Amino acid sequence: MTKYYDIDDIITEEEIVSVIFQKAASGVGIDPSSENDYIETGSKVELPFWLAHELQLRQVVSINIPSCFDQKTRLEIQADCASVDLRSRCPFFYEFGCKIAPVVGDRTIGFLLLSAFKNRYKELLTKAHTAAFSAATKIWSILTNEEINLYEAAQSSMASFKKWRIGGPRFQKAPVLGRKRNQLNNYSLNLSGVFDKKELLGFYEYLISPLSLRGVTSINSAYYFNYS
Amino acid sequence: MAGQSDPHFSLFSAEELEFVAEDDMVEIVPNLKMDALNLISGDFGPFAPQIATQVPLWLAVALKRRGKCSIRPPEWMSVDGKEGKRVKRSTNNLTQVLEAERESQEMSEKLPFHYVEISRLLFDHARDDIPDVYMVRSLIEDIRDVRFHKVRTDLEAFNGRTIAVKIKNLSAMEVNIVRPFIRRALQAFCKHDSPELIPEPERVADKRPQLVNNAPRRQLRR
Repeated sequence: MTKYYDIDDIITEEEIVSVIFQKAASGVGIDPSSENDYIETGSKVELPFWLAHELQLRQVVSINIPSCFDQKTRLEIQADCASVDLRSRCPFFYEFGCKIAPVVGDRTIGFLLLSAFKNRYKELLTKAHTAAFSAATKIWSILTNEEINLYEAAQSSMASFKKWRIGGPRFQKAPVLGRKRNQLNNYSLNLSGVFDKKELLGFYEYLISPLSLRGVTSINSAYYFNYS
Repeated sequence: MAGQSDPHFSLFSAEELEFVAEDDMVEIVPNLKMDALNLISGDFGPFAPQIATQVPLWLAVALKRRGKCSIRPPEWMSVDGKEGKRVKRSTNNLTQVLEAERESQEMSEKLPFHYVEISRLLFDHARDDIPDVYMVRSLIEDIRDVRFHKVRTDLEAFNGRTIAVKIKNLSAMEVNIVRPFIRRALQAFCKHDSPELIPEPERVADKRPQLVNNAPRRQLRR
């Protein structure tokens, strides 16, 4: 129940599974093609997972393995994991598999998930850290949501490192402050604004003896990060 | 970490790492005469012209920008290690580090923890003080590439039994880059390779009585 508020969890449970009704049910409007509200025993219906799960606990339905874990997908994963388009099958492949596995009673889903993830992870590892933009769009379309999580983490850290490496001014004027500020007094600290580099160097000259250079720098950094 | 818009990434920004790296001491040759500076972080001795002094990097950069000193590059940051009249060749130089990196899978321990940040600061501000600056720069880039490649090959060998990753002698910037990725990868592996999801017929290799080993066997990778 820790994931009750997790959006990803909610969307995962929306996935459609096909179930077979064990008992007849009346008064339900699930199947829009039927004329009356009556569902026969043994009829096959498509339901979202959260509903099917609850009904299975009450032993009204029995759940079949959904199509994203069927034989065709397994063969594809065995052949070449890294290029299997898992996203079109089910964007929450791994999460869904984790939920389905205890319910359906198929013990091999865990292996399938693990091997698929391991192999794709190796591929993901190299591509995430080094890929140029053109390769990036190609791989994005076949990753599930968890893999995109990993990928984005690596990409953003790599991008910020590259940006830092190129260089550039260390302190940047916050875009909030567009207007001109008054000249700083010699002996008063104007603590309400972000200092840009030129004024900070002026500070160094005035305050080098009583204040540590380090101290002034850290005040400035605090303001910089405040406004970023 | 400060000022992050996305709290999930838990990344130090590169500027913050640079800030921390500036605490390292470096040697300068001032060309001014000044009394001792008594600052909160320490006392930095009286400066006399042409007498080498040890100061923190931030102070060295600040003085350099006003043209009041010249920075002597640290010993590890030299191409071949020969310095002036010294006969004994220093063992800490970049070509040797590069060779050592290429040979073995372990990370070389000769580079300081913040070598990326320190080298960048010195390139930006003290370019004329470094002999052979282009060679030094290309060597450092090569070293960085080789090390990062090694980190990546290490990371490939995860499995669900990993609870911690141990890579020795990694530098601060490299750690920072891979930190969010490793965190999420470990989480994902832990979730998928947990024992209750996968039946364990083949893991019971030794038929011991049930007294021992109730928890799944964990191994610390390397």
